[in-house]
Amino acid sequence: MLLAALRDLQWRRRRFLIAAIGTALVFAMSLLLSGLSNAFESETAAWIESTRADYFVVKDGQAGPLTGFAPVEISRTAEVAATPGVEQASPFMYVHATTHEGDGFKDVNVFGAEDGGLGWPEVDEGALPSAPGQALVNGGLGFDVGDTMQIGQTEFEVVGIADDSTLNAGIDNVYISLPDAQALFLAGFPGTTIILVRGEPSGNLPAGLTAFDREQAQTDQLRPLSNARQSIDVVRILLWIVAACIIGSIVYLTALERTRDFAVFKAVGASTSALGVGLAVQAVVLAVVSAILATVIGLLLAPVFPLPVDIPLRAMVLLPVVAVVVGLLASLVGLRQAVKVPPAAAFGGP
Amino acid sequence: MADLVVEGLTVEYPAGDYVVRPLDDFHLHAPDGSLVLLLGPSGCGKTTLLSAMGAMLTPARGSIRHGNTEVTTLKGDALTQYRRHGVGIVFQAFNLVPSLDATENVMVPMRSAGVARADARRKATDLLGQVGLAERTHHRPGDMSGGQQQRVAIARALANDPPLLLADEPTAHLDFVQVDGVLRIIRGLARPGRVVVVSTHDDRMLPLADLVVELVPHKATESTGPKRVELAPGEVLFEMGDLGDRIYEVDSGLVEIFRARPDGSEEILDRVGPGRYFGELGATFRLPRAAGARAEGPTVVTGYTLQDFRRRRQAGTGDEHDG
Repeated sequence: MLLAALRDLQWRRRRFLIAAIGTALVFAMSLLLSGLSNAFESETAAWIESTRADYFVVKDGQAGPLTGFAPVEISRTAEVAATPGVEQASPFMYVHATTHEGDGFKDVNVFGAEDGGLGWPEVDEGALPSAPGQALVNGGLGFDVGDTMQIGQTEFEVVGIADDSTLNAGIDNVYISLPDAQALFLAGFPGTTIILVRGEPSGNLPAGLTAFDREQAQTDQLRPLSNARQSIDVVRILLWIVAACIIGSIVYLTALERTRDFAVFKAVGASTSALGVGLAVQAVVLAVVSAILATVIGLLLAPVFPLPVDIPLRAMVLLPVVAVVVGLLASLVGLRQAVKVPPAAAFGGP
Repeated sequence: MADLVVEGLTVEYPAGDYVVRPLDDFHLHAPDGSLVLLLGPSGCGKTTLLSAMGAMLTPARGSIRHGNTEVTTLKGDALTQYRRHGVGIVFQAFNLVPSLDATENVMVPMRSAGVARADARRKATDLLGQVGLAERTHHRPGDMSGGQQQRVAIARALANDPPLLLADEPTAHLDFVQVDGVLRIIRGLARPGRVVVVSTHDDRMLPLADLVVELVPHKATESTGPKRVELAPGEVLFEMGDLGDRIYEVDSGLVEIFRARPDGSEEILDRVGPGRYFGELGATFRLPRAAGARAEGPTVVTGYTLQDFRRRRQAGTGDEHDG
């Protein structure tokens, strides 16, 4: 019956191809949503990695280093640096701001980092800011080295480009010197909002300060996105159901059309289970072909999405597995049809 | 000797709100090696009989025995084995699987019976050669003529070398050239060790048969003219499923036209009074009676042959029409 099932797939190849493309698009949407959800995590992880910090120290009472804004005196950086186990401590600021883009505005993440300190990303072109009024920007912002950009009312000269430097779902990062950040966001107060720490503090931190490790920093960053990510998961499950419905309807229609074939098979002694295996094979082949197509479509579409999409390898590996399960469930619909066909129906005319 | 013996076979099934009995107390004894022809018009039970012989439906009563196999009581694995090895069937309209080529269609019964793929392919090719299709082994049914498809269907039926071969209307969809080839093959299949049963309404096959069974036998038409029948109250003139070639006109009294329901109760379809007639469909089309007829009280009816009835109608005698 396996041969008959595969031959039938060939026989109805146009229909199966259309169904495979339809299912692949649904699977691809699911993959892209997985990529979208995953990108929130991978983007945050990449940014945390770029700071080279092991801990993020902030004023007590904050939910985390990336969602609060509580300035402390810059002198506290030295106190943290003196804590046993700390190799390096650097003041750092993170503020959500806007820059001008044409006649409008564009959201940017502005980071103020200390010259020679932690927090600066890798420079792909140009150099790190070394004087007031200079900025290092994400390549996606569209500036070249030497251009002038504006944050608020203040103009900055772009001196360096860091590729793929984003946070908060694709928002471009801009790095300026700590004094510039203090001037912009703390009205010149010589403070900082985060103290980046390298090393493993073994003693108590100075009073009034709390340290968050990388994982906690990531959780803090993703917390505001939890509703969005849960919504994505719900949509993803709905897409699985849509895919199952497409495969199920195709297998069911095929089973309806093959009623006479099934009757003939039964009349010559084929078991119902053999017919079921044939239908399951058709559904699984359809699902797996769709999954492969979906992976290709997903990888092609991911770069053109305005939001960062990072399709995780596990999703690509899991997709065929889920597709097989979806296909098997869908084939049950057709199996029901095959079971109830009486062999005597083979005696019917055309 | 594997004779095919059918005894008292009755098949009935509910059809909507009444019971249909396409076979009623049917008997047949086909010696081993014989070609049996089931003759009769559509609806007379030929296919039903083949289905029962193929163990695809369970009769209400009676038995079908082929050699030592009691076909009507087969269940489970024995039933599967019978379908695989005990019987081969040539279906009406060929019923080949359109997505499979000729060889693959013939392989289906062998693969179902667990024959290895290579062996099944070899035997299928051999069988197709035997039915004259050695050059068409890789053609799909859609690329073959009706006669060629029918020959593939015969090869498929022979795949597991069954001792009983059933063919349902094997010439129904063929032109006369194709019929010739198919008939020669079928005739050659009936030989010691195998019984071939062919249902058809094509009487060109008559000379080939060892045994002819007319499922609706011609009743000798009585040329003696109208037959007057006096019925006592409740007396049944004919039952549903009976064969008859007379159309009845009520002279006096009342006749109930009734039909049995699946639950055993009865449905009165009509009451036919003096001057009206009934039973014309069965007589005209040589079909079993679609309902029974019974006197409600003391009743007199006259039965006419179809010819007499027509003459009467043309002469303007007789009143209302009833089914």
